[in-house]
Formats: sequence, structure tokens, C-alpha cells
Amino acid sequence: MLVTLATTGLAMVVAEYLGKKAALVFTDWIFVPIPGALVVLSILSVKRHGLQGSHGKAWISFAIFSAMWFIAEQVWSILELFYNQKPFPSIADFFYIVGYPAYFIFAILYMRPVKKAITKKIVILSLLVAMAVLVPTLYMTFENNSDEDKLSIIIGAFYPVADAVVLVPALIGVVLFFGGKVNFLWSLMLVGIILEVAADTGFQYFSLDNSLYTGHPIDILFLWSYVVLAFGVYDHVKIFKTEKKSLHDKESLR
Amino acid sequence: MLGLEYTNSNQVKKALVSLAIETVLLEIGKPTYDEVIHKLFKVYKCYIPDCYEHPEYLKTILQDLYGSSSTAIIESIKKELEEFETQKGVDVFIAGISG
Repeated sequence: MLVTLATTGLAMVVAEYLGKKAALVFTDWIFVPIPGALVVLSILSVKRHGLQGSHGKAWISFAIFSAMWFIAEQVWSILELFYNQKPFPSIADFFYIVGYPAYFIFAILYMRPVKKAITKKIVILSLLVAMAVLVPTLYMTFENNSDEDKLSIIIGAFYPVADAVVLVPALIGVVLFFGGKVNFLWSLMLVGIILEVAADTGFQYFSLDNSLYTGHPIDILFLWSYVVLAFGVYDHVKIFKTEKKSLHDKESLR
Repeated sequence: MLGLEYTNSNQVKKALVSLAIETVLLEIGKPTYDEVIHKLFKVYKCYIPDCYEHPEYLKTILQDLYGSSSTAIIESIKKELEEFETQKGVDVFIAGISG
């Protein structure tokens, strides 16, 4: 994972160094395989879990989330590369926005079988952290004198709010599964969302500043967020790929 | 004759405990169930019904998978067995998995 993070980060810095056009083309293309990998891994997880149980439904929701964000990334790239249109705000935002409730539902369904272990203290602490993340972004949005249109400002402000909402179950998950194998998934979910929070806050800041462009170093954080989530899902798929192994065990008993 | 009755009653309780464990694990998901039976065999060379005598095996595996939240899964298994918790054998299993 660290190698992937370093390689993608370095590649984006090099593209940025080569000029804004190179950075734009490279960034739009790199957002095909990385979010695509997340979609493939979440489909593998759905295939493994099936429709049974709370986790089966949770992974369907996660696959919807990853598919929505993948579509959003592709719409963004198509608008920018082939239609030379400004991709923000655009129809891509619809797919990003739809992805958030799907992710939230995933987290809720995943934690449902162990909900009795969620204490009020964990919930309050997670809410406080989310609020602490949210307040500076909202302050920055409403205190600015940018010439951006109202719709762009509102949509731009929506993302940090949604990030703060999904940050709550991610924080709860890390505490809840502490010490267990599935905690690696939840730790990476948390890191992924923190990267998303930082990226969306930066996006909003530079957008209000009129200095944002595709290939901006802030895009590295968006890309890393996908990398981290993909490795989390990969680890989870690896933990639970034992159906054939258990059948083999039964055979060996004979 | 009495010995046979004891064995039958013990087998029934073992089946009840197995059913409770399986129900809770399958409510989480089939891969969780598969992983638990795989680990039970791999580490302890046993199956779910054997957890009746060795609840600590199941407890360790659940902790290894789900960390501190495994207590909630154990609570769900106990809830499934609520009706029979006073019966000899079942009470030992509950004490073992809770301890």
C-alpha cells in the first residue's frame, strides 16, 4: 500500500511539474484504474458475502457507493477531456452526493450485529471529532468573499458536511473493532475519510480562491483516499475467503 | 437407562448451543460463519458442537476477528439461549463464553 501511495503521489507531482495540461490529462486518466480497482474489490466482496446476513447487505451498499464515485470520476474526466467543460459543479456531483448515503448505510449495516457494544461515550466522542472537523470548513465557506456562484459554494460546502457525517461511523468502527482482524479495514476507512475531509476542505479553499485546477496537488489526497479504501477492502476480502478452505477441511476429516 | 437419558439430554443441549451459535454467525454473514468453522478446525481441530464443552475456543476466535465488539456477538448467542440458561451444561457454556 505504501508503495502504491508513494508511486501515485510521485507520478502526480511529476505530471504537475510538466505543466498544467499534462497534470490535467494524467489526473483524469489515473482516476480510471484506481477508483475502478475499488469497484472491482467491492464486487468481489459482494460475491463472497452474497445476500445473506447484515454484512452481505452492507457490502452491496458499499459496492453502490464505489460505483457511484467511479461514475462521478468518469463523468468529471469526460466533461473535462472531451467536452472541455468545467466539471464543477456538474452532473458528476450528483453521483458523488448519492455515494455518501450508500457509504453511510454500509457502515450502519456492518456494525448492526455488534450494535450492543456501541456505547454513548463512543458516539459522543465521534460526534465531537466530526464537529471539530466541520466547523473550520463551514466558517471558511461562509466568511469568504469569493466571486464563485452560489450553487458552486453550496455544493462545495456540502462535501465537508457529508465527510463529517461519514466520519462518525468510521471513528466508531475503529474503536468498536479494536484488536480484531477487521479493524484494519476500519482503520483504513478512517484514514480514507480523513484524506477525503482534507481534500474536500482544500478543494473548497482553493475553489473559493479561484486557484483550483485538475491536477492540483490537492488531487493527490483524493487519489490516496481511493488507494487506502481499496487496500482496506482487499484485506477484508482476504480475511473472509475461506469457503473453499473449510470444505477442504471437511474432506480431510474423512 | 439413566445413562442413556443423560447422554440424550446432553446431545440435545449441545445441538441447542450449536444452533444458537450458527444462527448468530449467519445473521452476521455466511463468510463469518465459514471463517469461524475454518478457524475452529485449523486451530483446535474441532467443530461448532464442540464449543459446548470448549466455549473459550469460540470466544478467542471471535475476539481475533472482531476485537472488542466480539462481546456483542457473545451477548447475542446468550440471548438465543436465554430460555435454556438455567439448564445444567448450558449454564456452564454461558459462564465459559462470558468469562
